[in-house]
Formats: sequence, C-alpha cells, structure tokens
Amino acid sequence: MKDIREDIAWAQINTDVLKSLENPRKLYWVILFIAIALVGVAVGCEIYQYNMGLGVGNFDNPHMWGLYIASFIFWIGMSHSGTLLSAILHLMHADWRKPIYRFAEAMTTFSLMTAGLFVAVHLGRIWQIYFALPYPNMRQVWPNFQSPLLWDAMAIFTYLSSSILFLYIGMIPDLAICRDNIHSGWRKRLYTVLSLGWEGTDRQWRNFRMTYLTIACFLIPLAVSVHSIVSGDFASSQQPGWHITSFPPYFVAGALYSGCAAIITLFIILRYVFKFEEYMTKSILKKVARLTFAIAMIWTYLVWIEYSMAWFGHNPHDKHLLIEKATGTYAPFWWMMNFCASVVPLTLAFKRFQTNIPVLLAVSLLLNLGMFLERWMIVAPTFADGYYPWTWDHNQWPSLVQWGIVLGSFGWFTMLFMIFCKVFPSVSMYEVKEMVYHRSLATKKLQATGELAAAGKGAH
Amino acid sequence: MSITTLFDNYSEFRHRHPDGDVPHNPYKWAMAIDLDACSGCNACSVACYAENNLPVVGKEKFAHGQVMHWMRIERYWDHDGSEFPERGARYLPMLCQQCEAAPCETVCPVGATNHTPDGLNSQIYNRCIGSRYCSSNCPYKVRYFNWYDYPTTDNVWPAEMNMQLNPDVTVRGKGVMEKCTFCIQRIRGAESDAKTQGRLVRDDGELQTACQQACPTSAISFGNLVDPESRVHKQWRAQQVDLDKHEQVKDQAEGGTDLRGYRIYEWLAPYPSIMYLERVRESEI
Amino acid sequence: MSKRHLLALFTDFDAAEKVVTELRNLGINGFNADKDMIVKSPIEHPEVEEFLGDRPVRVQWFTLFGAVGMGALMFLLIAAAQGSFFAQMKGGKPIVPFPPDFVLTYELFILGGVYITVLGFLICAGLPARRSPLYSAKVSEDQIGILVKSEESASGTLKSIFTKHQALEIQEEAGK
Repeated sequence: MKDIREDIAWAQINTDVLKSLENPRKLYWVILFIAIALVGVAVGCEIYQYNMGLGVGNFDNPHMWGLYIASFIFWIGMSHSGTLLSAILHLMHADWRKPIYRFAEAMTTFSLMTAGLFVAVHLGRIWQIYFALPYPNMRQVWPNFQSPLLWDAMAIFTYLSSSILFLYIGMIPDLAICRDNIHSGWRKRLYTVLSLGWEGTDRQWRNFRMTYLTIACFLIPLAVSVHSIVSGDFASSQQPGWHITSFPPYFVAGALYSGCAAIITLFIILRYVFKFEEYMTKSILKKVARLTFAIAMIWTYLVWIEYSMAWFGHNPHDKHLLIEKATGTYAPFWWMMNFCASVVPLTLAFKRFQTNIPVLLAVSLLLNLGMFLERWMIVAPTFADGYYPWTWDHNQWPSLVQWGIVLGSFGWFTMLFMIFCKVFPSVSMYEVKEMVYHRSLATKKLQATGELAAAGKGAH
Repeated sequence: MSITTLFDNYSEFRHRHPDGDVPHNPYKWAMAIDLDACSGCNACSVACYAENNLPVVGKEKFAHGQVMHWMRIERYWDHDGSEFPERGARYLPMLCQQCEAAPCETVCPVGATNHTPDGLNSQIYNRCIGSRYCSSNCPYKVRYFNWYDYPTTDNVWPAEMNMQLNPDVTVRGKGVMEKCTFCIQRIRGAESDAKTQGRLVRDDGELQTACQQACPTSAISFGNLVDPESRVHKQWRAQQVDLDKHEQVKDQAEGGTDLRGYRIYEWLAPYPSIMYLERVRESEI
Repeated sequence: MSKRHLLALFTDFDAAEKVVTELRNLGINGFNADKDMIVKSPIEHPEVEEFLGDRPVRVQWFTLFGAVGMGALMFLLIAAAQGSFFAQMKGGKPIVPFPPDFVLTYELFILGGVYITVLGFLICAGLPARRSPLYSAKVSEDQIGILVKSEESASGTLKSIFTKHQALEIQEEAGK
C-alpha cells in the first residue's frame, strides 16, 4: 500500500484540490448553520454571565476554576497537531505529512483562537483584560511577570501569530495556483492580493525553502515551551495534584496526543467530503494512527508516573487526593478518562484497525473525549480535595452556563474550519507535487539499478 | 530613569524570604489568636462584616459556598469515640494569614496583590481582573471572590442598612477578589495620627482590628511584631515562634514542648503572620 | 534597441536544464544569463539552483539579528518594568527574578525570530512582486517556464534554442 500513487499528473492534483473550493452542497450550509447556532448559545451564556457575575457558572470557594480553564488547556493542546506535522515531521523528512499538514496547520490556528476566547470568558472583569498587557502608563504599573498566567499570554500570543504566519507563508504558492485558476469575483481578488505576486521564480523558491525551514526550527521549541508554560499554571502552584514536576512533559504529551486524534478525525471527514482518497490515502492514515498510538503510550506512561509518585510518595495530601479522584465525587469521570485515554488507543496497535475508517473515527473521538476529561480532572479534584479540610464539605458541578460556552467553542472551531476549507485549499498542492515527483524519481532510480526487483516492494 | 530606579529598588528590596538581615522597620503587623480563649461566638466575624462592608449573601448562596466572610469560624470535632460525638466542637478563627512569602502574590497576572513594606498582603480592588489564580494558590482558601454584583443585588444592604457602610472602605463590585486586610484602613489611620504626633503607633489600644475589638475574651491580639513592648511581640517570643522559619527550633526539641504557639501550614513555607495558641486539652493528642 | 521578453514553457526540469546550459554557454550578444533569465517552476527544485549557479540566501541573517536582538531587548524591558518606580514585592521573591524573566525572554526570542524571518523572506524574495510582463498559468500547474529578456535581434536565436529543446509554448511580448 503506497502513501501516494506515483503517477498522478500534476495537473490532476491542481484540479482535484481546486474542486474542493467550489460552491458547497446543501449539507455544508446545514452544518455551518448548526455551528453558528452553537456559537450563538455560547454568546448568550456569556452575556448572561457578564451581566450577572461568574456566580452563575456555579463557581464557589474553593472551586474557583472549572470548565473554562479545562477547555482552555484542551484547545491549546489540540493546537499542537499542526506544529507536529508541519515542523517536526518536516525536519525528519517524513514526506507523508505533505498531503495532510495544511488542514492540521489550520486546525492549530483555529484551536489557538478558540483557546484565547476562554481566557476572556474565565475572567471576572473581562473589560479590564488589557491590564495584562505591558503598556506604559502614568501609574508605572506593569503586569506581574512572575505570574504563569502572564507567561501563558506571551507564549500563546507568540504561538498564535507564528502559526498564522507559518500557515500563510506555506500557503503562498498554493494561493498563486488559486489565483491562476479561479477567475470569479471576490475570490480572484482575494487570491491575487494574498499570493503577493508569487510566480515560482528561482529566487522566490530558494528563499522560501530557507524561510520555511527556519520557521519550522523555531516552531518546534515554541510548541514544546507553550504547553510547558501552560502546565506551569499548575506546576508552579503548591496545591496537591498540581505541584508535580512531570507536568510539563505530561502536558506536552497530552497535547500531541489530542492533536493527533483530532488529525485522524478531520482526515477522515475531509477525505470523505472532498473525495481526497488519492491524496489522503489509507497508508498515510495508518501512519498517523501508529503515531497516535505511540504518543498515547507515552502519555499513559507519564500519567502512571504521576499516580505512582502520588501513591508511593510521603505526601499524605497527594495520596489523599489520588484516592479521592478514584473514589470521590468525580470518580466516574476520572475512570472514563483513564479508559478513553489509556485503554481505547490500544485498538490502534492492531493492523486491522489502523485502516478501518469507522473504527478510527470512533476511536479518535473517544480519545479526544478522554483528553477533555483529563484536563477537567486536573482542574476540579484539586479544588475539591485540596489542603484545607474546611473546603471539603460540599461538591461542585459546573452549571449549564459553563457547558453552554464549552459547547459553543466547538461550534466556533467548526465554523472557522469550515470557512477555511472552502476558501483556501486544504491540501497543499505544491507539496503533493513534490512528494509525487521525488518518489517517482526514487522509484526510477531503484528500477534503473535493478534494486527495485530485489527489494520486491515500492514505497514503504 | 527606569534603569537607575531598577538598581535602587533592587538593593532595597532584594531580600528574599523574611530574612534576619533586613528586618521590618518600623512596622510589621502580626496577630496571635488564643484558641483556648476562643468561645466560637462569631463576634469577630460579624464585626468584620460591619467594618469592611462585607455583603451578606443569603442562605442559598451560603449553601453554595459563595459566602464572603473574611473571618470565618471553623468547627472541628474529634472522632474520639465519646458518648456524644457532636458535642465539644473546637473553634478555629481563620482569616488571611498575611504570609510573608504569600503564594497568592506571585501568581496574579496583573499584580493586584502585593506585599507592603510593613508586612501586609495588599489587595488592590481596581486592578483585579478576576482570574482567581490567587485563591487557587492559597493553601488556606481565605480569599473570597465577588461572584455577583452585591451592591446592586436585593437584600444585601436594604434601605437604611446602606447607612451602616464604612466610608473608609471600598464597596466592591462583581468580579474582584477580596480578603482580610488586617483592617488596613484603621492601621493607616493610626499610623497617620501617630506620625503627626512624631511617634510610632503604640500598643495601648489605639489601634485595634475590628475582630480584636469585638472579641469578648480578648483571644485576638494584634500589633507591631517588631515593637518589643507590644503584646503580640511578647506572645511570639514566649512561644518561641520565629517569623522567618518554616520549622521552629522548639518543635525539633527532644520530647516535644509545652509551648502552645504554632502556625498553620508552616511547612509549606508561606511564613504566615498569624500565630495560633493551641487549645489546652485534657489529654495528650 | 529595445529589450523584449520571451517566455518558453517546458515539460520537465531536464529540458529546462539543457536550455539554461546552452543559453549560458552560447554568450548571445546583449543577453546576460545571470541577470536576464528567470526560471519559474511549480515546485522547488534544488537542482535548479545547481544549474543556475549559487545565489546566496540572506534570510537567516535577518533571523539571527532579529531573534537575539528581540530577546535581549525584551529581557531589559521586563527587568526595567519590574524594578520601576513602584517596586511591587511579591511572594518573598526578588524584584527581578530570573526564572520568570528567562521564560519570557525565551518566548519573545522566538517571537522576534519568527517575525524578522518573515520580514527577511519578504525582502529577500522580493515579495509582494510586480507581475512579470509574460506569465502562464501552466507554470503553477506542471510546466517549467524560462523568461528571458533580450535584444530584439537576439530573439530569433533564442527561439530556435527553445524549439530545439521541445518547448511546449513560446510567448513573445508584443512589439512597442
């Protein structure tokens, strides 16, 4: 099974991908409408919360944080997929990333935008969110640079703007193709402006390649550091269940995990909707499934390290918290999380399931459910069973307002992604051409030297 | 200008944890609460409500955990197999411990909570944007968030009760964090009066926090820890509790100690400014 | 004599390479192979650089200065902000603590690096670019284009070279 057919004509690649930009069918509008409706629900909940105060979210002392922070971390985590594919696999010369990295990179950008919304929603006084920005003022008051929340702000701003730039720069040759082939109205103007007059000259390609490589080299430490910094929100505190040194790698592993699962979901959806079977092949899907399995095992290891250290360490508060997680108020969710995130990915170890599309779709959704629960199970139990016994006297569950806003965020993400897929090519045309070209060259070379017959197989 | 100020401020405020090398001068506000004298009457809590414009949230929100009592009386019972286990509650008045190395101060994204040179943990209401990280990091959970807009909520300060509000203290709107301030309005008032007279604040009853003033058994003593004449200084000395240690020397002594003074969660090293005097018990714990 | 543009389209890199080698070696009057010839392709191709000759890519110098400069600048700004007029002591920590400052410096180092690299890319690649007088959509699809600028007298020679190497299409700029 080949990652891609080596005799695909380049003109065919253009046509197939450009077809995805045609006017959408009715189902598209239905789903988009539902997504926008969900966003409306979230906006309504937020207006209610803005007017009444955060108490409507069912927060109290000590349960100060809830689903907003959990969702924030979840969306940041999901954003690591694009960087993984674009940057890390690029540096490893894994060219099977080429047909799929464009939508993954788009997913990164939109996840970050969604996460940014949760920062605002979670605040008691959103209208003063600009206090967190370092701007000179008459009172010489600056934000507190010691606060991990502020590191978050800087890191996410850096990551969001770098991702947008990376997505855009990588898309310039494709935008030139769109400009050359799509001739109607606002699209033509949009592509003409955005493609910056790209013509594929040697000078442009040379600099392009160097730039792409350089930004990829920057993005990898950035992605690792962003989620480490987000984990610092918890690890830098001294609360039981949070003050854990393995949190940075644990969070980064969770982020890559979540991102890979989301890639599988969107891969299957886009492949079906746009009929991209030639490009988003089952062979590539198999590779992504295996990668997800590997990351799932890394995450499982790290989470078991966390449990083991809590169990065997001498800190009675950590051990008490672990027991409460397994047997207390949130126990059903905790067990569901462990099942979804550690047991379900074991299906990906079996070749039979690695290319079975319905199974993969279900598995990827369950994995992301597990990851969402995981974020929630990091936030909530520490509040419920922290150090101070006086706080252990009541349970707390998020209210419908919180759930409404969380649900709306999924609608927001879907809306952005769907708009993206219809305006910009979701498969990178020039990179697929490169992939086909280089693979066919490699095959020809092997054939010429007779090694192909000896090897007995084509591409891996 | 900033670079010179940076160097000046650096050397002045460079000391890390409360070190002996740069002692507080001239004030360090601290408190000692005698749990043996405390009868659990809640007068301190009510006085705090009155003095600091605390909103009464009502039965429903109280049950929800959204109560605003800066000073709370906690009740603990021993499971000692006695005949009437529900009798004999122990009372613990818990308020902001004004930690010297407060975990809440480092994590506020906008710097709404800081440490004053006289040893208080300050909360700046108009800077607070309500991220609630400070409360998440507080080991004592003594920070209270305004979940609703109490000034505009019915039955919080119904007509004429708003006449009782203390003009020296802000009335907080929704979305800000608040906590015990050691009645900073009274502290600043007393300091200012003393300064006009060319002296420091004396420990003769001219400065009392609201809770201290209301306590019928004088369980609460409050004052300047670095003033050798103050009651609170003498109590801390007698109990051999040092502000800048997270493990007291007396606790390491062979066979334990009869001294009653301790600080809560001392081992987490927030260096709290409140010392509690353990209740005298009939038998050993 | 006025200079005119010619655009020839070829089906693959081998044909284009042969044409470029020939144009270089031939030394046509009024035509400088380095300056007057541009190769356009739908994908990047390192071998193109080989037969066109080595041309330096300066983007990474931008990156170096931008990243290091931004990082250093940010550290100074943050430290100055922390130590400025109202020193705000927090949590028993020093006024200018290194761990948080290091984290922020690291992030902003990357921010500066990425922004400056993008700027460097735009400058070095000459984007946004004015469109060439001759262009074919096939260049972005699957054909290699060679755009040459030459004296009118040389255009006959050039055209014959192109046809010899099976040019799929030759476009000529309209006469002035």
